[in-house]
Amino acid sequence: MIICLLPASSRAAALKLAVVLSEQEGAYLEYSNALEKLLVNKSVTLTVTDADKPLPDADLVIAAGMKAFIIVARAKPAAMLAVLVPKEGAGKLLNEFPALAKSDSNTFSAIYLDQPVRRQLDLIAAVLPRVRSIGVMYSTPPKELGALRTKAAERKFELNERSVASSSALHTALQTLLLSSDVLLALPDAEIYNASTIRNILLATYRNKVPLIGFSSGYVKAGALCAVFSTPEQIAWQSANIVQEYIETRVLPSAQYPKQFEVSINEQVARSLALNIKSAAEVRDEIGITP
Amino acid sequence: MFCSRINIWQYAASLLLPVASFAFMPLSFAEDGSVSEQAYLQDFPVVLSASRLLQPLSEAPNAMSVIDRNMIKASGFRTIADLFRLVPGMYVGNLNGHTPVVGYHGSTEEYSRRMQVLIDGRSVYLPPFSTVDWEDIPLNIEDIERVEVVRGPAAASFGANSLQGVINIITRDAASLNGTELSMIKGGEGVADLAAHLGQAGEKMDYRITLAHREDSGYGSTVMNDGKFTNQANLRANFHPSGADSFDFQLGYSDSTRGLGIAGKADDVFRNVTATSSFQQGTWLHAQQNGDELKLNYFHISRNYIDPIYSPPVALTSVAAQTVADRHDLELQQTIQLGKTNRMVWGAGGRSDYVSSPVSLTAPYTFTQTRLFAHDEWRVSPSVLMNAGAMLENDGFGHTNTSPRLAVNYHVTPQHTVRASTSVAYRTPATLEEKANIPNAYVSLGGLRPEKTLSKEIGYLGEFNSAGLTLDARVYNDQVEDIISADPAATIDGRPYGFANLYATNYYGYEGTMKYRWSDRGNIMVNLARQFARCEITGTATNPLFVSMYLQGYMDECPLSVPDYSGSILLTQQVKQDLQVSAAYYFQAGIKMIGAVAQSSMHRVDLRVAQSFGNPGRAGNGDVAFVVQNAFQDDYTKYSTTLETNNMAYKRRAYIYATYNF
Repeated sequence: MIICLLPASSRAAALKLAVVLSEQEGAYLEYSNALEKLLVNKSVTLTVTDADKPLPDADLVIAAGMKAFIIVARAKPAAMLAVLVPKEGAGKLLNEFPALAKSDSNTFSAIYLDQPVRRQLDLIAAVLPRVRSIGVMYSTPPKELGALRTKAAERKFELNERSVASSSALHTALQTLLLSSDVLLALPDAEIYNASTIRNILLATYRNKVPLIGFSSGYVKAGALCAVFSTPEQIAWQSANIVQEYIETRVLPSAQYPKQFEVSINEQVARSLALNIKSAAEVRDEIGITP
Repeated sequence: MFCSRINIWQYAASLLLPVASFAFMPLSFAEDGSVSEQAYLQDFPVVLSASRLLQPLSEAPNAMSVIDRNMIKASGFRTIADLFRLVPGMYVGNLNGHTPVVGYHGSTEEYSRRMQVLIDGRSVYLPPFSTVDWEDIPLNIEDIERVEVVRGPAAASFGANSLQGVINIITRDAASLNGTELSMIKGGEGVADLAAHLGQAGEKMDYRITLAHREDSGYGSTVMNDGKFTNQANLRANFHPSGADSFDFQLGYSDSTRGLGIAGKADDVFRNVTATSSFQQGTWLHAQQNGDELKLNYFHISRNYIDPIYSPPVALTSVAAQTVADRHDLELQQTIQLGKTNRMVWGAGGRSDYVSSPVSLTAPYTFTQTRLFAHDEWRVSPSVLMNAGAMLENDGFGHTNTSPRLAVNYHVTPQHTVRASTSVAYRTPATLEEKANIPNAYVSLGGLRPEKTLSKEIGYLGEFNSAGLTLDARVYNDQVEDIISADPAATIDGRPYGFANLYATNYYGYEGTMKYRWSDRGNIMVNLARQFARCEITGTATNPLFVSMYLQGYMDECPLSVPDYSGSILLTQQVKQDLQVSAAYYFQAGIKMIGAVAQSSMHRVDLRVAQSFGNPGRAGNGDVAFVVQNAFQDDYTKYSTTLETNNMAYKRRAYIYATYNF
């Protein structure tokens, strides 16, 4: 699908932008639809395609999702922006494609799906000011663990960590962790948090009156107390700004965290735990629009 | 387990990467979950749905007391009925060592007929007396997650017979235990209890099993034969093939041998009765779109009680008497989210009760009850919550009753909530009240109307989380009409009695709970209730001769059937990391139940000291507790209906309560 966003007269100068989606559905499609609206009246010729189709000729390629990221990276485009990718995944992929990662080339950028550690701690502090200890579980220590330890210590949070070797050890680890923690902070570790385990994890946190802090709206819907996350629309807004900057300077900024974000709170769970907490809008304002 | 992630990678790899290009994409990379965005984009079904969440007190349409595991432990109690001493306005007495009498607001009598009792949604008051036999419910006190006591009628939410209140016991989830727990209680009056709990939480299947034994010699007196010896087994399993569906199965069995008999009474000789009780329950919970939820619940309860030497009234020879009750119940319930501010629960159910008791009923009877209910919770504004609901019920005795309820909760500030509510509820006559055929004693004429209550209350709830303080108080006025009572029909001495709707009683008073937590290590709960009753004769006795003698006697006793004041205090302090001390004080003014002997006022102090060892939550931990009940030897008299046991006192007793987890 090729969309001409400009009158024919100015098309010659327009930036050829290709957006490659991992799937033509869900968050990927929401992202490309939002981006398309934001780029109206910009000097851009936009082509939206999915990862199974041949890569169109483009000055700048946006890869949405890891599957698209791999395919686009292999095609060695002139410049690329990866979106809807976790920081750890993007980092590992860049190790496979060292040419992309050269910081001086200014031809690669990414907007991570992850929220910065500081923002997650801001969320906990804003929602539950009395929290002192935060529990985390992982199968292998995540890259961000160092940052989490440092920032938690700076804010006088006690960080309780449990490394969980197998799914059979999950229950025991969770029980001991919940006894010593005020909240459980979920990490994007699919060995620990997945469709099979989320039920018992949520039931155990509720039973122990230790709320779960998620990292997506899906967690909040399931029963996590709250989460801070960025929507595809918000990532699209940030992408549009990067595209604009690229049009003007032909330089891509360095890889970055999402700038805009949402806060979601499960009010039913909050009420049931007798937590008098602020509204999602108040919490978002309190966390502020910091990078 | 990781299907969504693996699929996308297998898909990407197979479709796009020729074998040679795996140099670009090492296998370990393709299998590494941390690289995928799926964790962020994944959608889950609603796990903590409305039916799994405890309604906060500030939003509940009724006054409610919650007894959780920590309180159960701190109380030192080893029987379920004793726990209700921690609820304001509730009466707990003992007919003998194995027959507690539990009542709320004057519903108190040997058969606590005017409260609904549910265990995981399973109604356990059974015909023919419409009573709960607390000793043979297949449930171990250590398997209770929490008890919610709804103070006031709540038919719209809990179904029939919640005339004056609802005891809603929620047991531990199948996934709550991973390992083995052993407990042992050993102490005075022959107390020797044992329980083993084992469980396993898995990805798709969780289960827990309890095997327990309870034993004691009752009051330990020579006047009463009231020892007990009970074995029980429970299984709870939960199968959750997907996040959206869970199937919960429960099985329970209890076998109890108990002493009965009072010394010197020819018609109540010392003997052992047996009671076996079993149940099967299956619950399917299905999460629908948008947070809606479907719940299908089926259970079957069976109880068999045999008294080998039952002496029928005014008969010369005793007989073996068997009472069998059998209940099937099926209910479908749906919770619908009607927008952000409105939620509705509706459902329908049916129940079949079979009862056989040759010594008291002409023939076995089967009754079929059907019900339809709906309940709406509407958040009118952020500070106003309205609960409106009703139950339509056909009680199987030819009556169709509508029990509506309306409650408004107004959050003056987030800390202060005022609640006003009114509701109507009915109690279906017990099988025995409607159909008794005990020659020379009770012969029912039938045709009874259900008892009806109209309840009005105003409540206040103050939650000061930063100060660790919660206040919960209410004033109430419950008008109970058409109270069913024995009706002296014949001309000689009133016997045989029938049953008739004879009285109305107005129960009113105020009650409250204060909870204060001064640190993570210490807290106190104080319950207080003041109760009053006004009674009048509203029905017509079959034989007017007895109005002055019998009915007037009831009128004189009735106001004394609620204690002027009663309450409890439970104080818990973690003295050291591994040392917990708790003290409880229970008190109650003198009382004279309908048909029972007057009881003296009660002041009782229970103490518990517990030393724990090992790491909490890990194998090898446990505790040893020393519990003293009635520590200062206030020998208050027990509930009694016969002069021979009139002055029997509950004496001091002590036991060791040890638990070990591995």
